[in-house]
Order: sequence, then structure tokens, then C-alpha cells
Amino acid sequence: MSSSVEDRRTDNGSRRSSGPDMRRILYRETHSSRAAVSVAAAVLVLVLAAYGVLESGVHALGQPAWLIEPQVAAQRIVDLPAGIPPLLLAATGAVLAMVGLIFLLNGILPGKRARHLLAPGRGPGSPAVVVDDEVIASSLARRARLAANVTPEQVMVVVSQRQVLVNVRPTSGVPVDQDRILEAVRDELDQMHLEPAPVPRVNVAPSGVIGA
Amino acid sequence: MNSTPALLNRILLTVLGLVLVGAGLLLVLLATVPPAAPWWHSWSGSAWNGINQLFDATRFPGRPESWLWIVVALVLLALMGFMVAWIAQQGKGRSNLLAEEYDPGNTPGDIRIGGGVSEQALKHALEGRPDLAGATIATYDVKGSPALKVRLLPRQGVAPHLLAAEVAELLTALESVVGREIPVLVHIGAGARTRFGRAERVR
Repeated sequence: MSSSVEDRRTDNGSRRSSGPDMRRILYRETHSSRAAVSVAAAVLVLVLAAYGVLESGVHALGQPAWLIEPQVAAQRIVDLPAGIPPLLLAATGAVLAMVGLIFLLNGILPGKRARHLLAPGRGPGSPAVVVDDEVIASSLARRARLAANVTPEQVMVVVSQRQVLVNVRPTSGVPVDQDRILEAVRDELDQMHLEPAPVPRVNVAPSGVIGA
Repeated sequence: MNSTPALLNRILLTVLGLVLVGAGLLLVLLATVPPAAPWWHSWSGSAWNGINQLFDATRFPGRPESWLWIVVALVLLALMGFMVAWIAQQGKGRSNLLAEEYDPGNTPGDIRIGGGVSEQALKHALEGRPDLAGATIATYDVKGSPALKVRLLPRQGVAPHLLAAEVAELLTALESVVGREIPVLVHIGAGARTRFGRAERVR
């Protein structure tokens, strides 16, 4: 009985490599989804197409048009600068271009999310881990606060893709050891094994806080 | 994690964006630059004449309307169908099946383990942890094979790598119960509940 379980284990092991592509999943988790914008774009095209179907269908049956005869509309577009105030025309064009720019930028920008990967170091079967930068920042802030011996309000950490900036406002009259904070933050970052690995920087404010 | 068609989304959004930007810029040019008007008249006028001739050539016998209008309506209907299909593709991929295997034992039939097993088990295991403000577990179908997504909301100040290591142990236990390895994605995130909740002070 145990041998059959063993067989199944190895069988699964070979199947796992042909399973879902983890890199693709991680890419999707660290880049923003265009689902909402896509649905908006699709609805826009849907509404326009529905109106087109209505007008062309009505025209094909020889009935009077609902809003405007397609041929009249096309003729108006052909002699465009005439027949409409230029200000209105320019404003319409600007609005159209703005909406188009929103779609275009959504389509071509990389859309990276503020997230890091935790490098897998605990065997091949360990899960892939994605961490929001905010969580990393709050963890580093706690570590820096303990190293600097200040209150949570005196530490602010900003985590970006390649850099960690730790801002510390010391308590007035109590000196803060910048190197010790940097050491602590670096130690915490080393334990996290972030991907891509950010470089820590500590910034101690020249003025202190009174009564903290 | 879900099967949103990411590349298709990008391509269609880019195409639609280019078309809209082009139309908008053309309108702005027509309104602001005087020499643009004659150019536009000559270009669009000839194009419109060509289309008009096409419509005249394709009339119903004995009637003034062209059957090309029906073609236009059908093409637009197909476009609408494509748009509906595009919307339907967004965010798909949740499934309810964790494992499926033929049982070689004496009992005929095969074994299916629903996604609820992992979801309930992990939820229960993570319940009552002081360092977590919340956790959601979902089963996904990634290109035909099941995968788990564990979303954790730790309180402020919790070290993510320690939390991930502890959750990895739970997942190993789950895998040994289910009997097969499941690809897992752990997302340690922040939300309104972690931002305004109390900080974790024990760890």
C-alpha cells in the first residue's frame, strides 16, 4: 500500500513541472490588471456599435432614421470645420483625445504594482510569496524604531522598487545612532530576501521632537 | 492568478486608444489650424464619394436602399458579440476543485477533493492569530491545473518573511493531507483594516 502512495508521489512530482507556470502567475501578481479599463472600453464600443446597428438596420428597412440619417451624418463629418463652432469642435476633439490617451497609456505602460517577491529559499515545494511594499515598510519601521529607541510616530519608511528610505526624527536631547539603524534595517532586509533587492538609506532629521 | 487575457487587453486598449487619440487630434486640428480644412475636404470628400458609389451599386432591385446596410448591421452585431465575449473573459478562473485522481483501490470510481477543503482548513488554522487582521483563501484553475491563492492581511509591524515561513508550514501540512503538491501563491498585503487597526505588539 505504501509503495502505491510512493508511486503517486513521484508521479505528481513529474506532473508538477508541467503544471501552471509560476513565473506567469507572479508576473500577474506584480503587475496591475487592466480588467476594469477593458470592461469600460468594451462597454463604450458596445454602446456605439448598438447605435450603429440600430441606425443601419432602420436604414436598410427604409424607415426614417432614429436620431440622424447615416448619410447626413457622414456628409456633416466631411465638411467639418463648417457647421459647428470651432471652440466646440476643439473641445470635443480634446475630450476624445484625452479618453484615447487614458486607454492608450493603460495599454502600453508597464503598470508595475508596489509589490516585491520574497525569494524562495526553503525547498522546491515552498509557495511563491508576494508582499505589498506597505507591509515591508511597516516591518522595517518597527525594526528601525526598536534600534533607534523612538516612538512609532517618529519613524517613517518609504519602500520603492529599488530603494528603502528610513526617515527618523530623534527625540530632542537623545542622540540617535544612524549606523545602528542602518545595520538593523539591512539585517531585516537580508532576512527577507526581497526580489528585486532594495538598497536601504537612513535619514536622521536635524531637528528633534520634544516630549516624545 | 485568474485567466484574464492580459495581452489581449493590452492590444485592444492600445488600438482603441490610438483610434480615439487620432480622431480627437484630427478634430482639434480642424478647429485650430486653417490649412487643415481643405486637406480634410479633399481627402474625406473623395473617400465619401467612393463609399457612396459603392452604396449606389449595391441597391436592392427596384428599391432605393442598398443591401450593404444589412452587411454593416451584421458586422456591428459581430463586433458587439466580440465585446461581450471580451467582457466575459475578465477575471475568470475561480474553480472549486483542488484535486482529482483515479483511485486504484478496490472501490470503483475516482476521487475529487473540492476547493472548500483547503479553504476551510487554512482559514481555521489561521483563525485567532494575533498578527493577522484577516485571511482569504481561494482556489483557482490556472490553465487546467488547480492552484491556491492565500491572501494574508498582517497587522502593522509583522515581519513578512516569518509569516510566510509559518504559512508555508501550514501548506506543507495541507499538502500531506490532500496527498499531492498544490502550487500556492501567498500574497501578504495591506488594506484599510491593517492600516487603521491596532499594531501587533507581541512579536
